[in-house]
Amino acid sequence: MACRGGGGHGQPPSATLFRVSPGNLSTRRTLTHNICMVSDFFYPNMGGVESHIYQLSQCLIERGHKVIIVTHAYGNRKGIRYLTNGLKVYYLPLKVMYNQSTATTLFHSLPLLRYIFVRERVTIIHSHSSFSAMAHDALFHAKTMGLQTVFTDHSLFGFADVSSVLTNKLLTVSLCDTNHIICVSYTSKENTVLRAALNPEIVSVIPNAVDPTDFTPDPFRRHDSVITIVVVSRLVYRKGTDLLSGIIPEICQKYPDLNFIIGGEGPKRIILEEVRERYQLQDRVLLLGALEHKDVRNVLVQGHIFLNTSLTEAFCMAIVEAASCGLQVVSTRVGGIPEVLPENLIILCEPSVKSLCEGLEKAIFQLKSGALPAPENIHNIVKTFYTWRNVAERTEKVYDRVAGEAVLPMDKRLDRLISHCGPVTGYIFALLAVFDFLFLIFLRWMTPDSLIDVAVDATGPRGAWTHQCPHRIKRREKNKMFKAR
Amino acid sequence: MLLKAFFPTCCSSVDSGLLVGRWVPEQSSAVVLAVLHFPFIPAQVKELLVQVQRASRVGMAVLGTWCHSQQEPEEPLGHFLEGLGTIFPHDPWLQLCRERGSKSWSCKVSCQQAPAALGVPCEDQVMLIFYDQRKVLLSRLHPSAVLPDHQAGDAPASTRGLAAVFDTVARSKELFRSNQFNEGPVRLSHWQSEGVEASILVELAKWASGPVCLLLACLLSLVSAASTCRVFRLWPLSFIGSKLSTCEQLRHRLEHLTLVFSTQKAESPAQLMRKANMLVSVLLDVALGLSLLSWLHGKNRIGQLADALVPVADHVAKELQHLLQWLMGAPAGLKMNRALDQVLGRFFLYHIHLWISYIHLMSPFIECILWHVGLSACLGLTVALSILSDIIALLTFHIYCFYVYGARLYCLKIYGLSSLWRLFRGKKWNVLRQRVDSCSYDLDQLFIGTLLFTILLFLLPTTALYYLVFTLLRLLVVTVQGLIHLLVELINSLPLYSLGLRLCRPYRLAAGVKFCILEHEAGRPLRLLMQINPLPYTRVVHTYRLPSCGCHPKHSWGSLCRKLFFGELIYPWRQRGDKQD
Amino acid sequence: MCAQPVTDTKEAKWQKVLYERQPFPDNYVDRRFLEELRKNIYARKYQYWAVVFESSVVIQQLCSVCVFVVIWWYMDEGLLAPHWLFGTGLASSLIGYVLFDLIDRGEGRKKSGRTRWADLKSALVFITFTYGFSPVLKTLTESVSTDTIYAMSVFMLLGHLIFFDYGANAAIVSSTLSLNMAIFASVCLASRLPRSLHAFVMVTFAIQIFALWPMLQKKLKACTPRSYVGVTLLFAFSALGGLLSISAVGAILFALLLVSISCLCPFYLIRLQLFKENIHGPWDEAEIKEDLSRFLS
Repeated sequence: MACRGGGGHGQPPSATLFRVSPGNLSTRRTLTHNICMVSDFFYPNMGGVESHIYQLSQCLIERGHKVIIVTHAYGNRKGIRYLTNGLKVYYLPLKVMYNQSTATTLFHSLPLLRYIFVRERVTIIHSHSSFSAMAHDALFHAKTMGLQTVFTDHSLFGFADVSSVLTNKLLTVSLCDTNHIICVSYTSKENTVLRAALNPEIVSVIPNAVDPTDFTPDPFRRHDSVITIVVVSRLVYRKGTDLLSGIIPEICQKYPDLNFIIGGEGPKRIILEEVRERYQLQDRVLLLGALEHKDVRNVLVQGHIFLNTSLTEAFCMAIVEAASCGLQVVSTRVGGIPEVLPENLIILCEPSVKSLCEGLEKAIFQLKSGALPAPENIHNIVKTFYTWRNVAERTEKVYDRVAGEAVLPMDKRLDRLISHCGPVTGYIFALLAVFDFLFLIFLRWMTPDSLIDVAVDATGPRGAWTHQCPHRIKRREKNKMFKAR
Repeated sequence: MLLKAFFPTCCSSVDSGLLVGRWVPEQSSAVVLAVLHFPFIPAQVKELLVQVQRASRVGMAVLGTWCHSQQEPEEPLGHFLEGLGTIFPHDPWLQLCRERGSKSWSCKVSCQQAPAALGVPCEDQVMLIFYDQRKVLLSRLHPSAVLPDHQAGDAPASTRGLAAVFDTVARSKELFRSNQFNEGPVRLSHWQSEGVEASILVELAKWASGPVCLLLACLLSLVSAASTCRVFRLWPLSFIGSKLSTCEQLRHRLEHLTLVFSTQKAESPAQLMRKANMLVSVLLDVALGLSLLSWLHGKNRIGQLADALVPVADHVAKELQHLLQWLMGAPAGLKMNRALDQVLGRFFLYHIHLWISYIHLMSPFIECILWHVGLSACLGLTVALSILSDIIALLTFHIYCFYVYGARLYCLKIYGLSSLWRLFRGKKWNVLRQRVDSCSYDLDQLFIGTLLFTILLFLLPTTALYYLVFTLLRLLVVTVQGLIHLLVELINSLPLYSLGLRLCRPYRLAAGVKFCILEHEAGRPLRLLMQINPLPYTRVVHTYRLPSCGCHPKHSWGSLCRKLFFGELIYPWRQRGDKQD
Repeated sequence: MCAQPVTDTKEAKWQKVLYERQPFPDNYVDRRFLEELRKNIYARKYQYWAVVFESSVVIQQLCSVCVFVVIWWYMDEGLLAPHWLFGTGLASSLIGYVLFDLIDRGEGRKKSGRTRWADLKSALVFITFTYGFSPVLKTLTESVSTDTIYAMSVFMLLGHLIFFDYGANAAIVSSTLSLNMAIFASVCLASRLPRSLHAFVMVTFAIQIFALWPMLQKKLKACTPRSYVGVTLLFAFSALGGLLSISAVGAILFALLLVSISCLCPFYLIRLQLFKENIHGPWDEAEIKEDLSRFLS
């Protein structure tokens, strides 16, 4: 395949070989892993999960691990692609069902995933996002194949309605034999532990991070004659766009020297437009539409106050990004938001128009009286909070711990499924697990593992990806070109 | 580096001499065009080369020597030939040798600037490629890189090299012309065209064609001036003119003829080919048309046709009447709204009645009309066919009318229903934002809207059935017209001349080349024979297709079905608002 | 392993914050874990009679549909003269119209700014259009099978009941759609009647009972709850009586339905509250409690 020509080493690598770390890295690490990140959500889709996977993978590669990413094909983007530093991404040809999540039959993805896990000699499967069907499939198949699994939950769920009851049951099944779970905030941990009925000891809290160098303040970009409030979020119900539609007229009527800049797109954009028309605020409320991630900073630095109206949020990267740009943050007190920023950097309000307006007024008062710290100072404080290197280090500890655990044999796994997931669901999924196992045996009979080509590592201890070697890159590009046809 | 020497096959048995040709440094290939025989004066040779170079804009040079030893190898000649390299300095100096008895060839290359070590002839690095000078000269290479459907697999560099070789040979025509009858001071050996007598005829034709073209062009310009006369721009005439396919076809043919007989010279071979294609197509068309004319006007066929035509039209009208009566009952067991059904049925029946009386009024004149129309076949078969198409359109005018009534009614209902359905759900269409908004209606608006919605919904099947039946009839007529149009288009746009050329002289249209190995021995240069691959027929048609009339719409199936569903009118001609898809 | 070698674990107090590096492993579980967990905080205490009172809206609407169907049946059978129904309808509409303004002493009218001229215009539009279209309505569905029409009407009336605005704040509620479905059903049924005058009277009656009557009810309920209960009871009994004259079994079933909706369902709702175990915590999606539509209207 793509990089078969790129490698030069003769001996066939085996799983045990990877435990032996090469000399140059032994000073830093003694144990390296072959990690496979699985999620439906990855570039070219944009969002919190996507950037999390990308940044974490980059930092893990930097620390000497081998990382590959598996996701589904996005339109014309299919096959294998290499990103920065040789991060290998498999875009699998699976059908997308809803909201970029693939349809699942629990079985159809096994042949492809098994092939990838074997040829890449993967030791740890790291799935992301509970909305991703592919992530759950991968967990299920990985357990059938006897691999270690880690799951990162990025979202919060309620317990009230029928749909969340069903999804929580599925999550219970999916996480029942997962080795370790990572949550992005303490609230998220509590939520996940309750939803999936987990032992809290196997749930770690590792927050998201932002790249502070991407979000630097620029006080000259904002006009100090008017106050600008910035909102950057998808315009959907969960992000509280309805609240925003109530706040805008209230605040705009009270303060004539105040503007709104709203970045983002979504089904609720209509109500913002209607409000803007009804109150004649066309020159004061700027709707930017969908923003690319690289443009977010340029929008943020134009404002003085950042407003977040989310109704539920596991971590909320947006407020960290805004604070990193030196904005005063006003946010709803929901989910994990109170854990994210210290009290002197954020004004927390109840999720109601009245409370948010009061919070905004407080921020405006502080701004006018000059009580707010300078953007540069805020940036200097925030940039120490969350870094991807720190996230990678802590994730690495999870991997180390997981790698040492024993894999449950099939009978234990079935026992666990039946005892843990309730009588009906447990038996159904135990049966499915047996089918999966039989299917795997059939696949192993069709193409034994020994017949599957071993991929050349682009990253990791034997990584073939170097910048010193231009002809290799050239060849890879040629391969890519060949594939593109 | 591998050196390729292209050598014309016709020169392989001539006397020794100098190789004249062009050096293509990018491909490191030497294209030999002719052999210059002894004796010669270097100054004359150089003058000749400069002369040819000026005429053909190709850098000509003496590339090396050609040694065809008739007897035992003569040492002095070999030395003499080597010495020539200093007179005509050329960087890789070729030395081709052929021994008489054994068909063995040898080739040496020496580089003058390079040090002696490199100057050592190394024969395996030279490749001798023989080519048929006549074929290469006449053929036209079709660049594969230009055509997007061609596989881009083979390296584009090689095609470019091939193109350079073909180009060189094609431009060397000047060399041959200046030396046609061996009357120059230097003696050259290359391909000579035979059949000088035939070429005299050709010359005569060329000489005569000028005035003929001029005369015809004058006539044509007169005709086109008449056709652009003010009278034809008036509303009804211009409208009819744009809708009748006969007028379109005549206009199209007029364009062809003006192009063919234009006094300007064709600039490129493609244009020349196009002119020839047009001329052949027009000639064939007229020939077919004349044969049709002679067939029609013999044995009173016109009269028979006219006698048959009226009963056919009558019969069609009768059948339609039956169809309408069937629809007015309970067609196929469908439950229609009786009142509406009766109204529509009677309306259409009255139309048919009108139509039949019109046909009967017309019947005495039909033979006369047909006779005059038949004369138009002398303008070509396509014109006759277009007239046939127009006659069909005129004779089925009632079907067209029914279709339009049905479609308009149906369209009105569909649009009414769709907007009332929005009202039914409490929504409305926002024209400014191009989307459906929610809206709070008044009670009376709601009531009237729903009342109308109910009525329209229950009346829809009746209208839809009428629409369906008449649309099917209309589609039938349009299909017949489309078939005729397809035939006309075929005659109009088929590149007959190119196809004939491809059939009789396949090498004239080259798609590429293939090489046959003549000799492959160690220690001797590889000898290849270059043969021309003819262009496949599909690509001939694709490349040389004449532009079509362009007055007919090209619906995609999806848009056609969409239009049919929403009751939009379908015309066999292009509408102003039509999108091209 | 995850456990970092930490010596002063005992002294340092765990904080639920992410921005500080704390001397605890990432999978540390504090005593305060899940301390914000709440159960049943939004469980409401229902008063039985209050629920019964609220259920009367459903009763009213069911009875309206029932009365409409009964009247149609009478008309179809020829037991009820259209003149008589038209006269009664006109008289009751006039009484209702006067009552509508009397209940709140014209305040609602002042607030909405609707003139009497507009009312008259609406009434004229109703009458003219219905009268003008009634011959068309009469012949509209004659080729369609009666069963189809019945099925369609049942479907539409059910839709009317489902989408009706009972005062619940749900996405499915659409009073426009509900009213339109009722009118559609009435047009369908009216087209089966013997003469065009019948059809005209039937559609007019449908307007009265499906469009005008709920408006009056709403006002009655808001201003004089007592009389509202009385009106509801009266209406229910008259509907039952009408149904009884057609079919005894139908009347009994309908009475059972009414009783179960007004008495049993509230009882069951209150009983089921005891079994409620709803988990709440900071992870819950916040609810917007304010009425945000005021910013848009």
